[in-house]
Formats: sequence, structure tokens, C-alpha cells
Amino acid sequence: MPDLRNRPGLGVAPLVLGGTTALLMLGWAVGANAPETSVLSEFPQALVDGIKFGLIVATGAIGLSLIFGTTKMINFAHGELITLGAIVAWYFQSIGLPLWLAALVAVVAGAGFGGALELGLWRPLRKRRTGLFQLLIISLGLSLAVRHIYLIVFGGASKAYSAFRVQDSWNFWGVSMTPRDLGIMVTAVLVVSGTAWMIHSTPIGQAMRAVADNRDLAEASGISVKRVILVVWMMGSGLAAVGGVLLGLDGSVSWDMGFAILMVVFAAVILGGLGKSNGALVGALAIGLVSQLSTLFSPPELRIFWALLALMVVLLVRPQGILGSRNATRIG
Amino acid sequence: MTKKETAMTEPRPDVLVVDELVAGYVSGVDIIRGASLSVAPGELVGVIGPNGAGKSTFMKAMFGLAPVRGGSIRLDGEDIVGRAPSDLVARGVAYVPQTNNVFPSMTIEENLRMGLYQQRHRWAERFDAVTAMLPFLAARRRTRAGLLSGGERQMVALGRALMTEPKVLLLDEPSAGLSPINQGDSFERVMQINAQGVTIVMVEQNAQRCLEIVHRGYVLDQGCNAYAGTGRELLGDPKVVELYLGSLSRSSRT
Ligand SMILES: Nc1ncnc2c1ncn2[C@@H]1O[C@H](COP(=O)(O)OP(=O)(O)OP(=O)(O)O)[C@@H](O)[C@H]1O
Ligand SMILES: [Mg+2]
Repeated sequence: MPDLRNRPGLGVAPLVLGGTTALLMLGWAVGANAPETSVLSEFPQALVDGIKFGLIVATGAIGLSLIFGTTKMINFAHGELITLGAIVAWYFQSIGLPLWLAALVAVVAGAGFGGALELGLWRPLRKRRTGLFQLLIISLGLSLAVRHIYLIVFGGASKAYSAFRVQDSWNFWGVSMTPRDLGIMVTAVLVVSGTAWMIHSTPIGQAMRAVADNRDLAEASGISVKRVILVVWMMGSGLAAVGGVLLGLDGSVSWDMGFAILMVVFAAVILGGLGKSNGALVGALAIGLVSQLSTLFSPPELRIFWALLALMVVLLVRPQGILGSRNATRIG
Repeated sequence: MTKKETAMTEPRPDVLVVDELVAGYVSGVDIIRGASLSVAPGELVGVIGPNGAGKSTFMKAMFGLAPVRGGSIRLDGEDIVGRAPSDLVARGVAYVPQTNNVFPSMTIEENLRMGLYQQRHRWAERFDAVTAMLPFLAARRRTRAGLLSGGERQMVALGRALMTEPKVLLLDEPSAGLSPINQGDSFERVMQINAQGVTIVMVEQNAQRCLEIVHRGYVLDQGCNAYAGTGRELLGDPKVVELYLGSLSRSSRT
């Protein structure tokens, strides 16, 4: 049995879990004792909504971060990978599949699309030594093109999943939550923790970190970098598809939903520390909490503004992000 | 089997034979212009030469990391030109680059695991064997490589490369960037590892120290073999001393 103590990154899991639990307890303590009408009585609800939003963002952010880490490329088409999951799942549930099965199909389709992009586009471009800036612009173009294909195929209207449309909500300690909300959060937690476990404890996950850390040395160690990058694209796109389904479940499905949330996903990745998969999770939770908690004292329309403001403040203090290391590639 | 009879005292066939290698990065510019080298099992072979002579390029070409334009590289008699590094690792070649030779955000143990990525079933056995040679690695196995000093990192890099039990180990300047004391340790380590039976080709800028410990040495200058011989022969050659070892030795001559 491998001894897991002190594995880098694993220390983050207790931190996130502990921090979230502490916040929730604080929330309930405040909420339960606050007068009915005060702002504070809304605190527990905002907290839970923030965690839910953060978890959804995390499924998109982890994939984006993995892709950046291993290829150093900034993928502006990641939003479209999120939308793809939502749309595919919507289609299959509309023809009668149960939602969980439709979601599974969406994840497989997402992973397949990510893999096809890598094989048909990114790998040939890398082989021709296309610069990172050029790749960024190409991904912007791809985002635009794919988004408008969605518009044509799916139409401009927002559509909701037919399952779980209206539900009775449970109320406890001032928080109202529907079974759908709970399902979203549990799914996200399972997917995110499964991914974190994979990255830290399986050989392919370690190879992903090795490629992100020092690509040439990974190659020189006998790791097939090409294969690792293909797996990363499939995994990242599959995760984005999960994010899309959850996002669609939380609100509704539309042709530009992924694009609309892309900025937040980027913010989460940068806030947590570029290229660190745990960073993406921490960053996403922070963004989710800040944006929802801000609704306690400012109009909800401004919640993303507050989240991005928090990002700027954090980056001024810690330019490398919350978990990022400044000297990751110290030379010598 | 090639029937290659040389004047060598040991009749064992060479593990690695490089013949008239031509290599370079940009088309039209050859960095290596007909360099040769051979290594017998168990040997410690050194390649010295001034800055920019192409020593690192020579190593990279042998390991499939720099394009080869001519000549041949034979591993156990089989031509390996054009093979990918992962293929060479599978065939028993290991390579430690001159710089950036660890995975900084991974622990020492994880660095070693990456070295054995292709043969993960041998982990326990190889971990014990490598840490027996480099006990430091076992003692600090949970430390991230990025937090280590230059000398300690060099040990991680060596350990990672040794994990596959390579037939031949290519070391690019193991003493580069180390303090004089650490440099001494580094040469000592290379000797010890060689004494355990590991075949090594080592590139060094510290020519004097290198020639003192190697069985045979090659002097590379401007991409060609300038001199070759046993370490002692080269150290005793007035021309080599004057051009490459003395205080007058400079970067380049024509
Ligand atoms: N990736 C590269 N692309 C193009 N040219 C390169 C590359 N790497 C090295 N060179 C050139 O090849 C020549 C030989 O470099 P190389 O690194 O092989 O020398 P070296 O003998 O190892 O020097 P040092 O002792 O400083 O390590 C140099 O002129 C260098 O500029
Ligand atoms: Mg060099």
C-alpha cells in the first residue's frame, strides 16, 4: 500500500473540506440566531448557493487547468465544451432518456469531442510548432464558430431539462434546498474528488503532473507525452460536459451558456494558481462564495463583478494565485 | 552480432557505438560534424570540450532529442537513429539533462516513479536498489524536488534515470552549477555508481576532474572528435593539457 501522507496536493483536500464545513457551521450559527428580517438571516442560503455555484464552476475549471498545465495553451473554446455537455444531455433527455443516462452520453460525447479536437487540430498544430499566442487566437475562433453552430442547431431560446423542473424544497436552518440542488452538489463533489484522486494517486494522473511540471523530462523518462495530452483533453472535456449538465440543471440550457460562464471559470483557474488542479477547485469555491455572498449587500447583477474584484485583489497580493508556486521551475 | 575486433583488452562487444554522427537543430547548421564514440559494458566514458563544442547536442542526438543527419548510433548492434526517447528508455538507455532535470513540484518518490513509468511492476525492487546507491533519496522521499539544493537535485535526477536499470546512462554535466565541494561529491557519486556496474557516458566541462575518473575520454571541439584515449593518456598529452586543461584554454580554436 502506498503511504499517502504528505503527498503534495492531498493536503488541500482536508483544507477545502475543513474550511467549507467551518463556514457552513458559522453560517448556520449566524442564520439561526439572526432576526428574521436582517441581512444575516440570508447568510446560510447565500453560503450554500455559493458552494453549489463554486462546485459547478470547479468542474469546468479543473479541465481548463489540466489542459493549460500539460500544453501551456489557453483554451478559449472551453466554454463551448461546457455548452456541448448541456446541449447533448438536453437532446437525449428530450427524446426520453432518463437524465442520468443523457448526462452520461453527454460526458462521453464531450470526451470524444475533446479527443477529436486534440487529434485533428491541436496535435497537428503543435507538430508544426505553432506558437502559443497563435493557438490562443485559433481557440478564440473555434469558440466563435462552434458557438454559432450551437445557435443554428439548438436555437436561440433557453430550454430547461424536463426532469426536476419544479420541486418542493426542503427547509432547514433558514436554507431552502431542492433535491435537485442536492443532486447537483453531490454529483459535483463526487466528480471533483474522483478527479483529484486520479491526478494524485494513479500512474496516468502522476504522468499528467509530470508533463505539466517538465515536459521534456517526462519525454526523456519514457512517458508518452502525446498520449498523456490526449487523455488530458478527453478528461478535461468530459469534466466540462459534466459542468454543462449541472449548470443547465441549475438554470437552463442555452447556446451561449458556456461562453457566459467562461470568464468565471478562467477567474477560478487563475485565482487558485494556474496549472494546479487543486488550485482550480479552491479558486472555484472562492469565486462561488464571493459572488453569492455579495448578493447579501449588493444587487445580484453585480455578483460576478465582486468575484472578479476579489480575483484582482488576491493577485495583487499573491501574483501566483492561492496555491500557485512562484518558483515552480527554478533553474539550476 | 558484429565481429568487431579492437585493441581493447576485454572482448565484450560495445553497448553503444556512435559512428561519424552528424546532427544539428536548424537545417543547414550542423552542430555535431562527424563525432564518434564507443562504450563497453561497465565502462565510464567521458566527453569533454569547451563551451558550445556541442557536448549537450551530442548527448541529445544519442537520445533522440536532436535531429540526426548522418552517421549511425548502435545500441547492442542495432541502429537506433530516429527512435523516440520513450523507445530508447524501453531499450535500456537513460538520460539526465544538463538543466531542468527533475520534476520540481513532485516529491522525490514521485520523481523516481516517473523514471520507472514504463515498468511500474518493478517499483519495489528498483526503489530498494536505487536508494541503496543513493540513500538520501529514501530518507527524503516525501520532499518536493523543487525545494532541494542543486546537489540534492542532481541526486534525484540520477536516481530517476537509474530506476530502469539502464544498460547505458547518459549524464550531461552532473557537476554543472555545483559548489566545488558538491562537485567533488558529484564525481565521487558517478564513480560509485559506475563501480556498481552501471555503464556511463558523461559529458563534463570540468575536464581535469572528469579525466581523472573516467576509463576513456573523448575531447569534442567544434562538433568533431579532437582527441581520444584513456583518461590517463589524455591527461598526459601536452596538446590536450595546453588546449583544454590549462589556464590558457579558451572557448574555441581553429
Ligand atoms: N535547441 C537549440 N536550437 C538551436 N541551436 C542550439 C540549441 N541548443 C544548442 N544550440 C547551439 O548548439 C551549439 C552547441 O551547444 P551545446 O549545448 O551542445 O554545447 P555544449 O558543449 O553542451 O556547451 P556547454 O558546455 O555550455 O554546455 C551552440 O552553438 C548552441 O547555440
Ligand atoms: Mg552542455
